Order: sequence, then C-alpha cells, then structure tokens
Amino acid sequence: MRVLGGWIALTPELPAKLLFGRHVWDCAQHADLWGRRLPELRAAAQQSAPANDAMVAFMEMLESPEGPRQTLERVVGVYTVLKPHLVTVYARHLGGTNAVYEPPTRRILARCLEEERRHAAAGAIVLARLARDAAGRARVADWERRLLGTLEKAGGVTGGVTAPLVDAALLGVSPDVVAPDLVQVPPDFDPATLPADLAAAVDAHRTALESGDGAGAAAWVEPAACDALTAALAPLAGRITGTRVVGLAAIGRQQMVKVRIESPRAIGFVQLRWTPTASGWRIAAGDLVSTEPVSAAP
Amino acid sequence: MDRPIAYDKLAREDRFVRMRAREVGELKVEQGLPPFPDLASRESIRERVHGIMVGELQAMEGAGRTVYDFPDAPWEFTLDMARQVWDESRHVETYLDLLEHLGGRVGEFPESTILWRCACAEDAAARVAGVNRGLEGLACDVFNQLIHIAQKIGDPIIETSVDYVLADEITHVRMGSRWLNELTRGDAERRRKAIEFQETIDERFNLGGSRQDGHHDVVPISIAKEARKLAGFTDEEIERLIKSTQRSQVY
Repeated sequence: MRVLGGWIALTPELPAKLLFGRHVWDCAQHADLWGRRLPELRAAAQQSAPANDAMVAFMEMLESPEGPRQTLERVVGVYTVLKPHLVTVYARHLGGTNAVYEPPTRRILARCLEEERRHAAAGAIVLARLARDAAGRARVADWERRLLGTLEKAGGVTGGVTAPLVDAALLGVSPDVVAPDLVQVPPDFDPATLPADLAAAVDAHRTALESGDGAGAAAWVEPAACDALTAALAPLAGRITGTRVVGLAAIGRQQMVKVRIESPRAIGFVQLRWTPTASGWRIAAGDLVSTEPVSAAP
Repeated sequence: MDRPIAYDKLAREDRFVRMRAREVGELKVEQGLPPFPDLASRESIRERVHGIMVGELQAMEGAGRTVYDFPDAPWEFTLDMARQVWDESRHVETYLDLLEHLGGRVGEFPESTILWRCACAEDAAARVAGVNRGLEGLACDVFNQLIHIAQKIGDPIIETSVDYVLADEITHVRMGSRWLNELTRGDAERRRKAIEFQETIDERFNLGGSRQDGHHDVVPISIAKEARKLAGFTDEEIERLIKSTQRSQVY
C-alpha cells in the first residue's frame, strides 16, 4: 500500500499510475483487516514485523526502482512477484484452516485472495501494454528473476513458505475478466492533431534543426526570442539526429508545441510557443525543459 | 524512496506541457482573454475540465505521497489518505471521460503544478489543512459552479458526474478537518502553522478574483457555502474566506 502510494507521483504512464491509484485503498483495507484480527489472536492490533532481515532486503529491492523510466520494474515487482506470492500464501493458508474454528481468518483470506488475484491480473494487462518490445520483455524477465531470488532467500513473506513461492496455478483470474476494471486511458498523442498550417511551420523548423541549418531554423523564430532560444537549444545544437512532436497545448490562440530532440548522447524535450503573426506561425519563446541520457530514454 | 520527494520528481507522459500558472494567465491576458476559463463557451468548459482532470491527478499523487511519507502517523489517518487516493483515481477517470465527452484530449492545455507543490508540505497537518481543506474546499466551489453551468446548458452528463465527485470532495474536506484537529492536538504552534498554510492557499487560489461571495448567476465562481458547511467549515471560516477573496489579486 505505502509503496504503491509513493510510486504514483513517480510514474509517468497513466495506465500504471491509475492502476496503482486504484489498488492503494484495497491494500489498505487488507492491512486493516489483518491488523484488527491480530488482537483476536492475542497479538497487538495493527502491529507487524518482517519475518527476517532477508524479507526486509526483498522489500527494499522491490521499492528501489523509482526513476521515471523504471515503471516496468515497479509493475513487475508488485504485480508479477509480490501479489502472486501473496495469492500463493493466502490460498495455501486458506486450504489449511479449520472451517469450524477459523471463519474470521478464512473470511479475510477469501477477500484478500480474490482481490489480490484481480490485482495481479490487472497488473498483467498493464505490463503487457508497457513491455511492448523485446528489450522491455527482457527487463521484465530479469527483474522478476532477481526479485524472486531475493524472496526465496527470505523464505517468502512468512519466512517459511515452501517452493514454489509463486504458484501460477493458484492465480485463477484471467486478465480478460478484469479488463473492465481498468481505466480506459486515452490513446497516445497524435501529431495529426496540429492544424495544417501550424504543422507545416513546425515541420519546416524541425527539418532545419535536423539538417543543422541554423539560419533556416532561426527564420521561424521571432527576432526578440532568437537569442534566448539559441541559448536554450545550445546543449543539443549541431548534433541533432532526429526530432518528433510529442505534445500540443493551447494558450488562447497561441500553441505550445513540445518536441523531442535526439542527439547521439542525449534526448531533450523543448517547449516552443508558436504564435500567429502577419507572416504566419512564428516561435515567440522556447525552453529546453528536460534532458536525459540516450541510455535512459525509451 | 525519499520522504518527501522533490517537487520536480513529479512524472508525466511526454504529451503533457508543463508551465507556471502565472505565465499561462499572463499570456492569455496579453491576448485579451480571461486568465482562467470563464465557462462561457463549450471550449472554455473543456479547458476548465482539463484543468480539473490534471488537478485530480495531482491530488491522487499527493494523497499517495501522504500514505508513503508518514509511516508513523496514526493508522486511521493513513487509511483515510489511502481512501482518498482511490477516490481521486476515480475522479481522474471521470474527468478523462468528461474531456472526451467535450471533444477534448489529454494534454490539450498546459499543466501547472501548484496543487502538487501544496501537496508536498513537509508536515502532515499542513498537507491536510492546505490540500484537504484549502484545495478541496476550492474544488467544492468550482464543482458547484460547474454543476450549475451544466444545468443551464442542459448537459446531464456533466451535471451528474460532477455531482458525484463533489460528494467525495465534501468527504475529503471533512477528513481534513478531522485530521487537522487530531494531528495538532496539544500543539498550538503546529496548528497555527498548518492553518496559516491553508490560508495562504485560500488566498492564492482565489483565481484572480474570480471566486467571490454571491449567486452563481452574478459572480464567476461562487463560494459554495452550503457544501462547505456540509464539509465542516464553520461560519467564521467561510466569512474569513469571503474577506480574503475581496483582497486577492493573484492567480
């Protein structure tokens, strides 16, 4: 619950962000149910302790991917490893409980089991959307393997869970069943959204940037903004290998066009404010809003 | 993970254009437009709905951080914040659908991060005062007005959707009132600072003087007195808010 809550702000992709957001409350209720059951079993209410130091290490490892480009690892950790492991543990525990003496525990187990199954299935759908290429799938497999190895060292959440720690046969909910539970996130940005005249100007400016034609690019910039924009783009100038429009936002009649600029070492994102003038669309201002190493960018 | 995280760690898909609210407002005024959507046209309503969608996103992110950032807070507080995360996620979904209903798209207007920055206050009591009472109180005013506009233009989809969201916001303000009291019990200084933080937010979010006391048909954004009373605001607090709107010039 806490980790999902903390990750929401750190996760760029809406499908994953909303997945976490939807499940925080379920997880909180599960924790609350277990916490309130404890005093009925002669333990302190709402207090828990990790099974061992290896389990602490597992949770620290699970929590560690917090960069904006590590959403795959975040989803894998919770939805491919931890929740399926909890399903495995809950299902086995439920199977071993006494139907006469332990109905309070059995009811909690049944509820948590059902919801964790649905969570894992929903996570699988989001993961499939995010890990679209071979590199993504390799990252998923690698992180899953590493986490499971660490979880094995801990003996699972209780310290005494027998192998396998994740029993796929117990998951029991097909991703198709929970598809309606997922928020239907709008499609990716479509550059065709730009009005035709603005698109022509933006494309001409991008072409000039890509070909290293400084004067050609500057022709699209209002004189008052030229120096500031040149300075803003300086970290990427002269080495631009590709550009792509990734966003468009309106401010009255002006349009903020967000462009991804690629160079051999870095990816930059610039926001260019285009304004209609007597000569057509021109850039009135622009900022380099972020850069990241090529190795980190998707 | 750091507790709390830096403001600039807020992660977004590339399609979002992030700008300072003040800059956006100034650019609009330069074009002879109102700094905030006046809801006089369908496009203006769409811009407002986009702004609310982004606000709900940041509210979800902020409540999520509160769940994470305060492991030593009372468990019931964490439960309330976890519930709020879920509520906000549904609000995002609602407003995504309303945006589509209005022919809009995600990223169509710039995003400012004022709400998120308020949600990063280091003290849990300041967060609930500022976000739950200040910003969610503002949401009560804005949503109440949006419901009224939807009734006027005959759009039951907007009217009903926003009405459900408003009910949640009233609950969130109540949570804020409860936890402001409980977290600061016996610590007058902490309480004073938290309330001061809320009041700076109230002043900052008077939306360039748009929020005022008066009937929906007369003022741009009417202070939703009934909703605020339901949410646990006292008459004195509402009166103080009205006074603050009379002197606020910022947006």
